[in-house]
Amino acid sequence: MLKSNRFKRVSTGGRSLTVQKNALESNEINAKKNKAVFGKAFVMNILSSPGSGKTSLLESIVPALKLEGFNAAVIEGDVETDLDKKRIDNLGVPAYQIITNGTCHLDAKMVNVSLNSLDIKNADVIFIENVGNLVCPTSFNLGEDMKVVVLSVTEGDDKPLKYPAAFYKSKVMIINKTDLLPALDSDIAKIKENALSINKELIIFETSCRKKTTENIYNKGIADFVSFVKEKIRIKAAEFQKQNI
Amino acid sequence: MHEFSIALEILDTLEENGYLDGVKKVNSVKLAIGKYSGIDKNYLEFAFQNLSDERFKNVFTEFVPNDSDEIKIIEITVD
Ligand SMILES: Nc1nc2c(ncn2[C@@H]2O[C@H](COP(=O)(O)OP(=O)(O)OP(=O)(O)O)[C@@H](O)[C@H]2O)c(=O)[nH]1
Ligand SMILES: [Mg+2]
Repeated sequence: MLKSNRFKRVSTGGRSLTVQKNALESNEINAKKNKAVFGKAFVMNILSSPGSGKTSLLESIVPALKLEGFNAAVIEGDVETDLDKKRIDNLGVPAYQIITNGTCHLDAKMVNVSLNSLDIKNADVIFIENVGNLVCPTSFNLGEDMKVVVLSVTEGDDKPLKYPAAFYKSKVMIINKTDLLPALDSDIAKIKENALSINKELIIFETSCRKKTTENIYNKGIADFVSFVKEKIRIKAAEFQKQNI
Repeated sequence: MHEFSIALEILDTLEENGYLDGVKKVNSVKLAIGKYSGIDKNYLEFAFQNLSDERFKNVFTEFVPNDSDEIKIIEITVD
């Protein structure tokens, strides 16, 4: 339990200065810059613990959007490798890999730098796959329109209670790997109940990215999420146009 | 351990707004912390301790609740 102070308060008779400033002011400045560069594109910041299926979801969603004439671009965040970018490259959409070299989250400055290289001029939607971590990325605004938290059923139904920040700050929760439910004791109703107790406005999708399932029933969640993204793209583009007349 | 990044952000914010001008030592930092911030006091103090800026050695941190999600620097005491 690390709740206490490491150091004692020392009274040296120094001055007290009232500050009243957002501690992450410089990150907010860069997030605003990013928002301006994103323009009409709708931007989703995707959070999850390692391996919940963020890249797999992109591999399902991006081609589905492409089929319907919507262009995506992807910013990948990873501690060490560009493996996820290589997977996105196979989809034939612009992608940029941020390698954080050990840092457990993306910040707005990193995204700022990526936007110098990533071609987003035709993008209707930009997906930012954050570093796999359910705690640290939640503190850093990247200039996104919405945070999306992915939780796979194998992680257990208590995770929204144990890692509340990601669920509290997201607009959408995707419950992934639903094809594995028959093999688990994990209770999807309980996942939802716990997540909604943290954030009662969460919009929830249930997905499976396992394409080789014999029954194709699991892909309804992907289709529903794609429809949701399309609607968000339309709203953002209309708002952008209105503001820029 | 995003407390390192938060400590750096706090340093930048204080520096860029002139609060560290002429300051020899930062003794304490009082922050208003939003719900579910996931920031640990002990780790934040450890992060300050390990900044290359010597003025942040042995900083005492105090957290008070904040209604918004923002992490706000309320007050610092300095020499
Ligand atoms: N059965 C099943 N496996 C899945 C599903 N989605 C992803 N996987 C598998 O889970 C593993 C991790 O998937 P990724 O898409 O790499 O997960 P990620 O969240 O991007 O991982 P990091 O980027 O490392 O945090 C892979 O082996 C996927 O094939 C799913 O819906 N069902
Ligand atoms: Mg990935």
